[in-house]
Amino acid sequence: MIRICEWLEQVRWIVALNSSATSAVIVELIHYLSFFLLVGTIVFVDLRILGVAARKQSLTAIAEQLFPLTWLGLLFVTLSGFVLFAGDATAFYRADVFQWKIEVIIAAVIFGLLVQWQVSREARSSRRSLTGRTTTKLLALVSLVLWIGAILASLEVAALTGLG
Amino acid sequence: MDLLLNFGRWLQNTTWALSITGSDWAYPFVQLIHFSGLSLWIGTILAVDFRLLGIGRDRQTAAQLSDSVFAWNWAGFAIAFVGGFMLFACSAETYLRNPAFLVKLGILVPAGLICHIFVQRKSRDWTTASELSRAARIAGLVELLLWLSVAAAAVLIPTVG
Repeated sequence: MIRICEWLEQVRWIVALNSSATSAVIVELIHYLSFFLLVGTIVFVDLRILGVAARKQSLTAIAEQLFPLTWLGLLFVTLSGFVLFAGDATAFYRADVFQWKIEVIIAAVIFGLLVQWQVSREARSSRRSLTGRTTTKLLALVSLVLWIGAILASLEVAALTGLG
Repeated sequence: MDLLLNFGRWLQNTTWALSITGSDWAYPFVQLIHFSGLSLWIGTILAVDFRLLGIGRDRQTAAQLSDSVFAWNWAGFAIAFVGGFMLFACSAETYLRNPAFLVKLGILVPAGLICHIFVQRKSRDWTTASELSRAARIAGLVELLLWLSVAAAAVLIPTVG
């Protein structure tokens, strides 16, 4: 794995993107904004499921409107994050806190997908049982906590390692 | 400017600002408050702007989406503001000498806020017709570019400081 990281650091286009001040700022900008889009939209859906946001609006309509933007945010945060990671791949790979960050984000994405799946399952079902709603709320709560954890882990990477 | 710098010096020497700066754990948690608020604030703004631009699903109109997110959008702003003020207080004088910070807070954020309030007030008029009006698309694009420039100024703060 270390060899892959060392190779990544030498790839010409990655070096070019990270060594130019302008392109580095653009990549960082894409990373922040897509992260805000990803977290902002999924947290809003979670809050709606928990019954503390937009209670008069249909959950299905809100979820169907926002989930595509959530995954669009995930796509761009992953692409820009890969470029930022690749520039210092060895140092990031050796930092425990970076590995925790990735693990928390993977868990948050899995719970986000479960929330989306559960919402669409409830929308298809004409009989919305109390158990179904409780499961969805529990999934939304875990998703919410995990995304807050993902923000904290991202901040800790910079604070503890000076990377990113 | 001297008055502002004196205020900055006073602020960063207040007991609570010194306790955040001097603590190992407090600073990341203040950052967490700021970034959690920003995620809600910017995330929901981008969702409405994309809808105004006709990007993404049309399950809700821009007006419905704007109404849905209204309360939590402003809650996000309040959370980001509180966290941002605490972060600012930790190094107020340094921030007040930073051109990127001054442009961000003195010009771009007020412009973004004015544009955002305008978009929220007018989104209903723009989206009553089945198709998005030209004004809606322009307003969505202008707001998107304004918040993009706010983020660009924020990213540049450590570089030009």
